[in-house]
Amino acid sequence: MIPIYKKEMRTYFTQMMGYLFLAFILILIGLFFSLMNLRVRDANFQDVLGSTTLFFLFLVPILTMRLFAEEARHKTDQLLYTSPLSVTQIVLGKFFAAFTLFMVAAVITMLFPFMLSFYAESMPVSRIVGTYVGWIFVGVSCIAVGVFISVLTDNQIVAAAGTFAALFVMFLMDAFAISMPTSAFASIMFVALVVVAIAGIWFNSTRNILSSVIVALIGVAVVVGLYLINNQIYDGIIVRVLNWFSVYARFNRFAVGVLNISDIVYYVSFIVLFLYLSINVIEKRRWR
Amino acid sequence: MIEVRNLTKVYGQHRAIDQINFTVDEGEIVGFLGPNGAGKTTTMNIMTGFIAATSGDVSIGGLDIIADAQKAKAQIGYMPDTPPVYGDMRVDEYLNFVADIKGVKRSLRKDMLATIKKQVRIEDMSRRLIKNLSRGYRQRVGLAQAMVGYPKVIIMDEPTIGLDPKQIIEMREVVKGLGSKHTVILSSHILQEVSAVCDRVMIINKGKIVASDTPERLSANLNRGNNRMQVRVKGEKSKILKALQEYPLIRNVDTQTSPETGTIDLILSGEKDDIDVREVIFKCMAKNNLPILLMKSTELTLEEIFLTLTGDVRSGPAGYGQAGIISGDIPVEINEEPANEFEEVEEIEAPEATPEEETPVGGDE
Repeated sequence: MIPIYKKEMRTYFTQMMGYLFLAFILILIGLFFSLMNLRVRDANFQDVLGSTTLFFLFLVPILTMRLFAEEARHKTDQLLYTSPLSVTQIVLGKFFAAFTLFMVAAVITMLFPFMLSFYAESMPVSRIVGTYVGWIFVGVSCIAVGVFISVLTDNQIVAAAGTFAALFVMFLMDAFAISMPTSAFASIMFVALVVVAIAGIWFNSTRNILSSVIVALIGVAVVVGLYLINNQIYDGIIVRVLNWFSVYARFNRFAVGVLNISDIVYYVSFIVLFLYLSINVIEKRRWR
Repeated sequence: MIEVRNLTKVYGQHRAIDQINFTVDEGEIVGFLGPNGAGKTTTMNIMTGFIAATSGDVSIGGLDIIADAQKAKAQIGYMPDTPPVYGDMRVDEYLNFVADIKGVKRSLRKDMLATIKKQVRIEDMSRRLIKNLSRGYRQRVGLAQAMVGYPKVIIMDEPTIGLDPKQIIEMREVVKGLGSKHTVILSSHILQEVSAVCDRVMIINKGKIVASDTPERLSANLNRGNNRMQVRVKGEKSKILKALQEYPLIRNVDTQTSPETGTIDLILSGEKDDIDVREVIFKCMAKNNLPILLMKSTELTLEEIFLTLTGDVRSGPAGYGQAGIISGDIPVEINEEPANEFEEVEEIEAPEATPEEETPVGGDE
């Protein structure tokens, strides 16, 4: 993992991406800081952080678009995947390089509240700390999504656009979720679609009709079984599933200074899920 | 060292490779030979664990490339057809990175990299950015990369593609040098290359191995040895043919006019397949005072073997596969002026366009 990490860190600063990312994020936060804190003589730095999470939509693609797409384009992935390194090491090395650069930006922005603390009469310390934790979790979750999308393509532009689109959908997830139907019928249909999709993926990877049908039947059996045990289990499931992907919804809880263990577990598992998916997509491409 | 069993790879409807089986012993240099799209790269990608086979196994030094991926891969150095280099790294940085991912110990690294750079002759390029290197040098960096860590097996996909003739010869020397310490597998669609470097050739076509042997034996197996000779004799055709009739051991296969004035080309073969006809031909001609200017075996070249085995004679360049017709000896057309090289070459592609009677040097009349 370490050699990949070192290589990626080096590449961030031999190519433009590292500088570009740092410049953008620092200018944006600096701008919001001067507008929202300095000009109006306000010490609530957490509002600045809250406003800048939106910009992850295009800042994160800068960080993640080339991670895997460029390797595939220049065929250097052949070197990595035929080396004694495991795919997990490669994915983690690249992820942690992006993570490090993001943390560098985060640490530099900590100068702003630090400066404020000399002049403010009272600093909302707990809120700022809480917001920072949430802000970093949201950013790293976006990075995990970006890593995943970079794995899917060999074109950096596609990776960047795809990451932007995915993050945009995540950003609007709350709004989507609210407008989704909650009736029992819609919920059952949704679950049925999921079962069909799983059977489809199964068929796609095994090319075996019989086993795919068995998977579908088992899925239906599980769905029906769960319904018989608890007939409220599917109520509003669409909203619940979509809300799970809403990385931003939980951010607001951090912003009021609450460090909730379930939220932290959520973010960590979200990140782990996308890294796991990335590893599996690479493995699967090679082990079909 | 390497064992490949029943390897098959299917892309959709297309069988890229089909039930390939072979083994490679330690220290052997083996060449994969085949036309484009024969399945060479696919086979190599599977052997190095880059892609998975649809079915079949590969084991490297007794370790399965899938089950023991990490350990098996540690024994392989792979040079894909495109050198897997990072343009924004300097050569030294790159080789150090490769040493890192292959887990080469720090204490050994400096000497190892210096030796390898010397072997592939890139010492002067150490501080250059890889993106500024020429294709040939990039190729060498790609080879150096495969050699880092001195893996037991080195697999090279078309190592000389895109190199100039001098670089090709240098590359061959390097590959030959590797054979003493490593097991080497290389692929190529160039026959001379494979016969120059390899201990053994495997000819692959349409995803199957059609032949596997030493270059010499491949050529001997498909050969009639010294049974079939091309002979250029000075003298009139009628006289020569008459002389030949006295020796029933020799069968006159074919007469051709030769580009040399006053001479005639013959393809002669023995009565039976296992007869060496050279001596008989000599005696026959000597007795009749007909000087032999040239006599050579119409041995199949690797090109011809290849085309014979792949059953692809037609699609090859004209002249190949027709044993015995040697490019320069095909009759040249009409004009009184001596034909230049280029016209000769053109003629090879359409020999039937040469009308017999217009040929200046024939002895027909």
